[in-house]
Amino acid sequence: MDKTTVPTPYNEKCSSPEKRPEGGRSGEAGFFLRMLSQKKAVFGLTILLGFILIAVLAPVITPGDPAGFVGRQNQPPSAHFWLGTNGQQQDVMRQIVWGARVSLVIGFTVGALITLIGLVVGMTAGYLHGLADGLLNVFTNVFLIIPALPLLIILASFLSPGTTTVVFVLTITSWAWPARTFRSQMLALCEKDFVAAAVVSGEGILRIIFVEILPNMMSLVVTVFFGNVVFAIGADMGLAFLGFENVTTVSWGTMLFWARNNSALVMGTWWTFVPPGLCVALVAFATTMLIYAVDEVTNPRLRSEKEVTNVLRKYKVSSHLATPVVRKNAD
Amino acid sequence: MSRKSFLTITVFLATAMLLSACGQTATPIPVATATTAAVMATTAATAQAPVAAPTATAVPFKPVFLSVSMEQQSTWVRNFNPYSPDARIPAGQGFIYEPMMVFNKSSGELVPWLATGYTWSENDTVLTFNLRQGVQWSDGQPFTAQDVIFTFDLLKTHDALVNYMGGTLMNDEIASWTAPDDHTVVIKFKTVNVPSLYVISNTLIVPEHIWKAIDDPVTFTNPTPVGTGPFTEVTKFENQIFVLERNPHYWQEGKPYFQGVRFPAYPDNDSALLAMINGELDWSGNFYPDIEKTLISKDPKDLHYYFVGGDAVMLYINPALKPFDNPDVRKAVSMGIDRQQLVNVAMFDYVAPLTGAGLSDQYKQWINPAAVAAATWMNHDVQKANEILDSLGFAKGSDGVRRDKDGKKMSYPCSSPAGWTDWNSDCQIISNNMKDIGIEVTVDTPEENTWGDMVMKGQHKWSLGWPSGGADPYNYFRSQMSAKTVLPIGTPSNENWNRFVDPQADNLLDQYAKTADPAQQKDIMNQLQMLFVQDAPALPLYPQVDWYEYSTKNFTGWPDKDNPFVPGAPFDTPSFSPQALILITAIKPV
Amino acid sequence: MKYLLKHIGLYLAAAWASLTINFLLPRAMPGDPVTSMIARMHGKMTPEQIEALRKAFGFSNAPILQQYFDYMTHVLRGDFGLSISAYPEKVSTIISSAFVWTLLLGIVTLILSFVIGTILGVIVGWRRGGRLDSILPGLFNFLGSFPYFFLAMLTLFILGFLLKWFPLSHAYSDYLSPGWNLAFVGSVITHLALPATTVILVSIGGWLIGMRSTMVGVLAEDYITMAEAKGLPEWRVMFQYAMRNAILPNFTQFGMSVGFILGGLILTELVFAYPGLGFYLIRSVMASDYPLMQALFFMITLTVLAANFIVDLLYVRLDPRVRVS
Repeated sequence: MDKTTVPTPYNEKCSSPEKRPEGGRSGEAGFFLRMLSQKKAVFGLTILLGFILIAVLAPVITPGDPAGFVGRQNQPPSAHFWLGTNGQQQDVMRQIVWGARVSLVIGFTVGALITLIGLVVGMTAGYLHGLADGLLNVFTNVFLIIPALPLLIILASFLSPGTTTVVFVLTITSWAWPARTFRSQMLALCEKDFVAAAVVSGEGILRIIFVEILPNMMSLVVTVFFGNVVFAIGADMGLAFLGFENVTTVSWGTMLFWARNNSALVMGTWWTFVPPGLCVALVAFATTMLIYAVDEVTNPRLRSEKEVTNVLRKYKVSSHLATPVVRKNAD
Repeated sequence: MSRKSFLTITVFLATAMLLSACGQTATPIPVATATTAAVMATTAATAQAPVAAPTATAVPFKPVFLSVSMEQQSTWVRNFNPYSPDARIPAGQGFIYEPMMVFNKSSGELVPWLATGYTWSENDTVLTFNLRQGVQWSDGQPFTAQDVIFTFDLLKTHDALVNYMGGTLMNDEIASWTAPDDHTVVIKFKTVNVPSLYVISNTLIVPEHIWKAIDDPVTFTNPTPVGTGPFTEVTKFENQIFVLERNPHYWQEGKPYFQGVRFPAYPDNDSALLAMINGELDWSGNFYPDIEKTLISKDPKDLHYYFVGGDAVMLYINPALKPFDNPDVRKAVSMGIDRQQLVNVAMFDYVAPLTGAGLSDQYKQWINPAAVAAATWMNHDVQKANEILDSLGFAKGSDGVRRDKDGKKMSYPCSSPAGWTDWNSDCQIISNNMKDIGIEVTVDTPEENTWGDMVMKGQHKWSLGWPSGGADPYNYFRSQMSAKTVLPIGTPSNENWNRFVDPQADNLLDQYAKTADPAQQKDIMNQLQMLFVQDAPALPLYPQVDWYEYSTKNFTGWPDKDNPFVPGAPFDTPSFSPQALILITAIKPV
Repeated sequence: MKYLLKHIGLYLAAAWASLTINFLLPRAMPGDPVTSMIARMHGKMTPEQIEALRKAFGFSNAPILQQYFDYMTHVLRGDFGLSISAYPEKVSTIISSAFVWTLLLGIVTLILSFVIGTILGVIVGWRRGGRLDSILPGLFNFLGSFPYFFLAMLTLFILGFLLKWFPLSHAYSDYLSPGWNLAFVGSVITHLALPATTVILVSIGGWLIGMRSTMVGVLAEDYITMAEAKGLPEWRVMFQYAMRNAILPNFTQFGMSVGFILGGLILTELVFAYPGLGFYLIRSVMASDYPLMQALFFMITLTVLAANFIVDLLYVRLDPRVRVS
């Protein structure tokens, strides 16, 4: 879980303040249209929505208790059990479908919580200058420096294993990066003319934050959110693998835990561990694609880059022969 | 991570043993009178003395190494102190140090070892051990009675050294231990305690000439051990493996039949399994799922296993929790549990579910058929369970869950520590089973310490757990029904988490401790079993297994189903007796 | 200078926070390892001994502030006490033996994945839109989408168990003793190969994608056009002009990653039974061995701090803007 190669969207280079040249309100509709024209976005959204649908419709698709004992253990896939049974005499298909719920709920809850805390801390720090900002900043940085993975494991070991514990420890250990990113974005935006204008024209703080600043950070918020969804799903798998989930709840992570516990590799019962691994990979990959799409749509440099490449490809010209020169937008 | 329970249970069982051993009464053995005991002992000595006859050389010694996986062990720490508070190397027990006699759980007998025999005299208040002549420590020094005296002194002065003799037995019941000559140890008792023979004779003896120079034996890690055992020379010690080679001065001539023992550390059962399949392991004490398929099928000629049921896994339903103060409700719950499914899912049918009063194969000579027949509540009978609950007035609500007398939903957590996966899945099955009888059970997996704290203080609702064990079922019943094992709720206690008391049981247990008559002992045990069946103080589920797998590729002479001369687990439970000594001096290289 | 001082202050705060978390956590939960040890030796221990043991473990009935002070002074003296799961071994002894293996695995995987990932990133960035560019980032992204331990276990099973190309566990052959000879070094390398490969496979993607995006930025600069216009060989423009200028963010990231070596290999060490620190961390956590756990966590934190500090120092040297402010 420590090695997921999410293109750290809260990397400094992505949050360069010149990202959004105009006030955002008029651009929102265009944003979604442009997103839909992105192959990556369509791919990512389709898969993600598919899994969400599966999770929501679980009782319809595979009725019955996913933890229920249905028959002889370790049966290979058959017409009756599409994905066979696992070492615990449970239906793997049913577990995959119901397990999607836990994994997605953890992913999206943690993603939302981290983004929210990050926004509150980051924007507060960015908006308030002076001592308050300094204190919040030190606090954030301390959390940034303390190694997250060991802290995660130690925290999880002290709490009763379960979904709430996982959500709690993942949020506690991971809110700092977004907070720092949002803070620097906030600082950058505060120096923009349109914010200054709003301040001069006497708009209230809340209005400035919600109407002037937040819409301009939307793409960053979206990438941070999805980045953390991917992170949380992966990290949850790791925690479940280490036994910090309640191993009797059905999730993709606990499915892998039990597969290992029942020596699935040696038993050759691939149907017990390939499906959950593949599902997690698909969700994570789809979400990553979504992030790229958002990045490409909102980052003009990447966008024009892409357009030029496409044009070049159309004329079968190898791009490195003619280096496209795309200038930075002047501030 | 997985199947951790085995290891931890071992530790707790050891505690239970320890507790009972230091109580006023310890496990009686069927010894009629002092004189017959002496006769028995001498006969045993002549019959079974494992002294190598000259013919022993017929088995050719081979300079080969035995590879053994003791347990899930991430890495080794060099601590060969057999009395260390948390000794990480159980090998010290069955390989390096030896006791005067070894209790063999398979035969129920004491095998003469460093002593050739013992005698009781003066109305069972004086116990005399006759030590073997010509035994040497691995450094060539002679082993004498002084070493035994020193060891007992050591254990008495240092309470923190973990052993089974300390506490009440040493401090209050034994008057003295002396060595009239180099090969005799005389132990004088203040009170009669014949059964203490077990723990005294099985105590590992350490060399005086080495240990007397040690300032603090509690923190002493004994990096280069000197012992009388078959394998004493540490020729390699690393995090991932250590090697013990044979004792150049071993007293059993010609034995051991091979050069040494390798102890690779396998952090989980899977890596031990892979090593076993690859032929890198000869002997293993790990849990493997579906063993016929995962292990035996890979090499049916050489890979084998032999599992014997040990101490019970119990479901403790707290009688302090209403309506479970009523034994009929507990029995109804018991009838709702499908034990066969528990054994199937959690134990891959390695053992049969428990019946009667919950005595497993290890106590088979004690089992009372009448109690087995009477314990109908040990059988899976959903209809009967529902009838009982209906008749007691626990009506089902619209959600299909019964309501108790206060109108509250009958919903309870079944607790087992996180990481004890077999138990976690037991609770899951029980939860499933309980739906059939209208009780809602949630699976609760608290962190290990939290769980231990809860059950020991008697603050659990439903929880899995273990009973106390020993050479006979005395400790088992004591830990379930005796007032002597009860501490107030909130005070941590190793035994009797349910705080269940039946004065009748106490009465029987007292009688049992005083009698040395086998017939009377059997009779009392029969009554205790009937009492257990009547009370249902806790619900026995199925027996734990001491895991034992072996390969005949490089070594032969292993105990198996046809010749179970000693339990085969490399790391046995309860471990008050170093039985592995019998096995490793018996097996021969191919 | 002010910049450095500010950062040192921050690091001290982080070190203090990590120590305090470690102090508070075990005390906030019911049941401690001493309690269970007392339970295991029920009736065996005099109150004085229990007290001594609790003290040795860093637990006592003293007021919490007093305990906190004692704990801190012990730690400052580098005394983390005795391990509980491996009593009476010193925590420091255990850590030092595992340290080497984690360091080896960490450094090898970090350097290799950095080098391979960066070079691939340069190539892919240079020929963006090309065939490699359409395959590699996606491929590594997809690999990285799998749970790490899932890939690691599959690799172990296929390459180690089925094909028997690599050993299954441990850091070197059980039949050898450590020493500077060919057999031992060779054994260390074959045992390192499998865990290292899995780590490299999943971490290349990050370096590749990072490098690619900075390359894209750099390629837009005039001096690249200039260099190409001058007719310099392609590889020279690619590596000497573009890569040299684009690599700085990746270098920073590299510096930070050094700090995460010790804490980042926990699952790897677990799957491959590699006897490193992560292994011990899991073990100490599972066995409630708080002294060992505290020391490991503190040590991992210290490494991160040290790596950060070195990056800071380099920044002060490299970036004139920092020096001025």
